[in-house]
Amino acid sequence: MSAGRNGLKIAPGAMVCAESELKGDVTVGAHTVIHPKARIVAEAGPIIIGDNNLIEEQVEIINRHPKSEDGTSNPNQTVMIIGNNNVFEVGCTCESLRIGDYNVVEAKASVGRQTQLSSGCIIGAMCSVSSSEELPENTVIFGSKCERRVQLERPPAQTLQLDFLTKILPNYHHLKKPVKSHTPM
Amino acid sequence: MEQEDIHYNKSEYIETASGNKVSRQSVLCGSQNIVLNGKTIIMSDSIVRGDLANVRIGRHCVISKRAVIRPPFKKFSKGVAFFPLHIGDHVFIEEDSIINAAQVGSYVHVGKNCVIGRRCVLKDCCAVADDTVLPPETVVPPFTLYSGSPGTFTEQLPGCTQDLMIDITRSYYQHFTAKS
Repeated sequence: MSAGRNGLKIAPGAMVCAESELKGDVTVGAHTVIHPKARIVAEAGPIIIGDNNLIEEQVEIINRHPKSEDGTSNPNQTVMIIGNNNVFEVGCTCESLRIGDYNVVEAKASVGRQTQLSSGCIIGAMCSVSSSEELPENTVIFGSKCERRVQLERPPAQTLQLDFLTKILPNYHHLKKPVKSHTPM
Repeated sequence: MEQEDIHYNKSEYIETASGNKVSRQSVLCGSQNIVLNGKTIIMSDSIVRGDLANVRIGRHCVISKRAVIRPPFKKFSKGVAFFPLHIGDHVFIEEDSIINAAQVGSYVHVGKNCVIGRRCVLKDCCAVADDTVLPPETVVPPFTLYSGSPGTFTEQLPGCTQDLMIDITRSYYQHFTAKS
């Protein structure tokens, strides 16, 4: 792992609660809201989070070291990229390396490292996907057997909720300050 | 069945004048908007989001470890709002559950690892089994047990549910004591 330097970059307009845990090289885009007790851990490489994302409590977004056959970890860094307008609800786990736009990962759902979300996908509450594939656009995974279907329109963006949270969260929480991305480390 | 004693470190919990026991490891956001009516236990790593809207929790409730109490969110034609969340008396919420409900009645039992969706209404004397997912806006009627994903009606509860829940939550509170 890159020696303990803190590569945290927060764009202006993002709300990152101080009680959340961001480790390693994490970049947070503008107007993204990160609630307290969320964990974002960049072990195996940087995590880049886009704009207008909503990341709720107890969410774990982890760029984990992949386990290779001979037990040694891959020296190459892998970058985890999360697009714009995604929602990660309470208690979900996400290790996917590519997440597009307008996806919703509902409460307690989990997305494995090999799975890629294109855009408009919904992973229902408590569902888990870990297969090696890219989910087609607007896929919905739901129910106890993780059934799939494709819906006609993508889920709406949560802009109103984000605006509301951006207004009220500073009244109750200490926030991590935005930093300029070109500061020398 | 007799409730076994559960001992905690005295330094870990704060006891208020009305008998609430709140873990120092819990996260109460916006605590000025959270009302605990007395003899309620809030255990470690649970989260109560009073910053989003008012949360009122009745008497003799138990909020177990890692549970999340979070007022629900609703979008209107103009603007948005978080709804206040009311929880009645003698409510037992087990570990790892997420409560996004608009209202939880009295004498309600929510099992482990449940997801109660946005703006659900849990009426008095109902129960939700372990690992249940209630979709948004579900109404759980009195004297019913819901289970599964999505949660559906599975069983009726006996007429004495009220007394059972009073017994359970009372004895839990009595046996939840500091290490001497």
